[in-house]
Amino acid sequence: MLLHYRFKVSNLIICIFLFCQISKAQNQSLYAFHDLSKFYFKTQRDSLKKNWECPQIFTNKTTQKKFKEIWDSRTEFVTGAIDDNDFVYDAELYNFINKIIADLRKSNASLFTQSPFLIIDRSASVNAYALGGNVLAVNLGLITFVQSREELALVIAHELSHNILKHPENSMKERAEWLTSDEYKNSINAVLDSKYERYSRLKKVIETYTFSRNKHSRYHESDADSLAIVMLRNSHISFDPEFFLRLDSTDNEYKLPLKNPVKNYFASYNIPIEDAWLIKRSKGLSSRNYNFQDTSSISDSFKTHPDCIERFEKTKNMASPTITLTPIPASIKEKANKMLIWNMYDNLSLTPCLYRIFLEKDKGNTDTWYDFMTFNVIAGLYYSNQQLNRFNAVGIIPKEYISKTYYELQNLLEQIPSDKLEQLYKSASAGGFWGKMPADANGMKTLFSALTDNNKNNQATAAAKDYLSTNPSSMYCEFAEHFKK
Amino acid sequence: MKNQILTLLLCFFCVNTIAQTKVFKEVSDDISTETKAIIQDNSLVGYIVFTRLEKTSEDSFNYKITLMDENLNDIGTVNFREIGLDLEAVSFDQDVLCLAYLKSTTHGKTFNNKKQAKHTDKKDYVLTQFLTLNGTIIKSNEIPVDLNSSLQMQSAEWGARKFQYDGDLKHRIQLTNVSGRGFACFYGDADGCNLVAYDFKGTQLWKKNIDDKQQFALLASKADVYLLQKEKDKYIEGGGYLSGFNFDDGKAFPRIKLEDNEGRSLSLISFGNDPVTGNPFISGNIINKSRGNKILTIKSYTQGPYDGIYTMDVNGHNKKDIKQTFVYWNDGSQKPTISSKGYIEEAKSFTLISDAFRDYDGNTYFVGSQLIKKPKIVAIAASVVTLPLIIVSPMILAMTGTMKCKFTDASIIKLSSKGVLSFDNAITCNNSKFVRGATYITYVNSRSFYSLDNSDSKSNYIIADDLKNIMIYNVNQKKLVRTIPHKAGNLRTTIAPAKDGHFMVIEYNKKEKYTSLSIEALN
Repeated sequence: MLLHYRFKVSNLIICIFLFCQISKAQNQSLYAFHDLSKFYFKTQRDSLKKNWECPQIFTNKTTQKKFKEIWDSRTEFVTGAIDDNDFVYDAELYNFINKIIADLRKSNASLFTQSPFLIIDRSASVNAYALGGNVLAVNLGLITFVQSREELALVIAHELSHNILKHPENSMKERAEWLTSDEYKNSINAVLDSKYERYSRLKKVIETYTFSRNKHSRYHESDADSLAIVMLRNSHISFDPEFFLRLDSTDNEYKLPLKNPVKNYFASYNIPIEDAWLIKRSKGLSSRNYNFQDTSSISDSFKTHPDCIERFEKTKNMASPTITLTPIPASIKEKANKMLIWNMYDNLSLTPCLYRIFLEKDKGNTDTWYDFMTFNVIAGLYYSNQQLNRFNAVGIIPKEYISKTYYELQNLLEQIPSDKLEQLYKSASAGGFWGKMPADANGMKTLFSALTDNNKNNQATAAAKDYLSTNPSSMYCEFAEHFKK
Repeated sequence: MKNQILTLLLCFFCVNTIAQTKVFKEVSDDISTETKAIIQDNSLVGYIVFTRLEKTSEDSFNYKITLMDENLNDIGTVNFREIGLDLEAVSFDQDVLCLAYLKSTTHGKTFNNKKQAKHTDKKDYVLTQFLTLNGTIIKSNEIPVDLNSSLQMQSAEWGARKFQYDGDLKHRIQLTNVSGRGFACFYGDADGCNLVAYDFKGTQLWKKNIDDKQQFALLASKADVYLLQKEKDKYIEGGGYLSGFNFDDGKAFPRIKLEDNEGRSLSLISFGNDPVTGNPFISGNIINKSRGNKILTIKSYTQGPYDGIYTMDVNGHNKKDIKQTFVYWNDGSQKPTISSKGYIEEAKSFTLISDAFRDYDGNTYFVGSQLIKKPKIVAIAASVVTLPLIIVSPMILAMTGTMKCKFTDASIIKLSSKGVLSFDNAITCNNSKFVRGATYITYVNSRSFYSLDNSDSKSNYIIADDLKNIMIYNVNQKKLVRTIPHKAGNLRTTIAPAKDGHFMVIEYNKKEKYTSLSIEALN
């Protein structure tokens, strides 16, 4: 009996310990403010600026000058993105991706002279990109999208192949050559000499260049696919051509419906959500059956990447004999998703941000951080409404690109009356989850209180500064920074 | 327009060479763009961006139409080639977009010499174009017009003389949808005025020649088309007639003269459809026979130019179907007490009514700036003191006047559906400074008023656009819902009507030189 009691007590202690650990893990900040690229990559930024010198490859001075211009614009792009905090450092994500890169390097040593400079781009776009100069960027959107380590490895290997095959550098060279070629100059002069149809002629010059560039680019993509598959094979990482088909569905992100009616997600706030707010009350063209054949867009042949089905067809014979898929660790997925949600929020993309939160709740995730972020979205919407910016904060997407529930959520955020929105904000401010949130998260509530109180308008800057000085390393400082001035 | 035309160009080319810079500048200089709201049944349903891309021959151009929904999302584009076009009006119904242009080989065109101008094949038309929502132009109609133009020399520098044909349409093109039936188009040229009806396939149903008048306003109501006409130069205000036509066959209804039972002329403040009945509704002031029709200065406004206000509901085509309500100042029947000169005791001011609208309960609201006047005591005293000096005293009065006036808050006067007048409320505005009574009203009153509504919640809002702020007032709740400063730091804010129940916020950042748009709910 005593043994049994002791067992129960020890179990209880373990449970409490585990619970505390989980709570701690859930509520701690994802990364520190100084992990944003402006701070974290400051040295690398300065080093890039200093050391990414344009090589002398053309004897023709004009071509070399143009090449330098293009080369420098790439440096400016990277350093500018670092300054804008487009990238972030997180040890766990870095280690996970670097391990994939290390596995690829280990088995393909001859292809690599050094380890690539990895950056994690905070973009929600399902993508990764090679910048040349051994720089590889992986978007948070890709990490949350992929279903297996192997799928992620394929995209990384593909981008590494671009760097190995020097595609970015070659592309810059080709561009410099084209822009300084007699053919291009003559085309431009022909536009100037022509009396009529100048816009069409100029458009044609650009399209010829774009087509030529993308034709090469398509060969490049195909080459990169082939090398990537070889690298995966050498590294004993499974390759499934169906990955390409899945990548074709990246645009369907917000077509995934929520599991529950939209109003259910607001049940805890005790504000009845009226059905009328979910239904589009519009007489406008968005509710009509339009079907324009756009005559001015770029035709399919100009897309930078080959069609995913074409890629699948080309590589289906190269599939690994036995396909073993390793799931992405839940902690990596969750972290990347949270980082993505925060970034969307900080960029005032409130509807997709809230939709992602609800999708997470659909998975049964009870982490109070999502309640905290729901509050932030409601408070952000309330603040935007006061600032006459609700329309941009909601970011209305035409119905054909989104699920029915996304459309309803979008309608709700757009149409909920101002007084009800205020009530929702106040109700969310009094939510039971706040007690479980760390001090820096609670500080956001105080900050919003100052931002949204019309009588405290002058105190908003002071409140932002106060937040920054009280929570100097909180990731939420990024938000407070907007109101510092 | 979200997708700027030159984005594609500029993405790929960051060019510095002279030829490249020059070509981009010259090509972009040739491109001109204008945006218009698409209106259906008096509601904004979307936007159209009309772009002249380039010249394709001596007379013709390539054009691009970009259609956007009410949330400014692109729906699609259509490209076409035509001779010189000026987009004048747009309307929409039954998934067909009707665009009306002035099409001309000479209008707005500059010629390098007289000979070239004289040899140009001069052609001018009103062009109506019918476009479906799959981007197909289903029909275009041309009606030749006479712009009464003659060749004029433009200002010349160092002998480089340029020539241009002057002349224009006498009355701009007005276009409206006739719900479920088609479109009505009105225009006037040197040969006269015309009202034309089209079905949704773009087929012309009929064309009516209309006697020329000073001004016209076109309105579609159910199956009818109405033209409100103002007599030529007879009055500063008033002198109006309402003509109606059956849309299906063009048959005219008896003309309605805008005057009261004693022959007083009626000024026009609003002309639209009643939101509940859908019938035409007119409102304005009853003009005093002797003191009216000469308001130019503030002082003249305080001397009783109007005898009251009126509403007119056109519930049918016969005289007996016209419901007229006349409310006269100072006839003892009305509260609040309003003097014969229009002074409202309750508001302690005159009200310069400048907007009127009908709510969903049949009440009519008249809105305008409050005007107060005070004697110029110092000037009067000075003229009294200098009375012995026969010339000086009248000179003082002539120079300074005896009265000073200023605009204060805005008044809302309600005329209930039962014809009972009441002072409803005031909207706090920024007071103007005191000015001489002889000052022209237009110099002092820089406020504008208009009304917006939310048909879903059946709420009406008054927009009072002041020099410093824009006030949005909820009529049903009798409260100010928003006050938007025109200027805040580097931001200059203006607002405009948008989709139903919303308004558009246009912010210009003077420092960073960009404009941002937002569409916000009225509530």
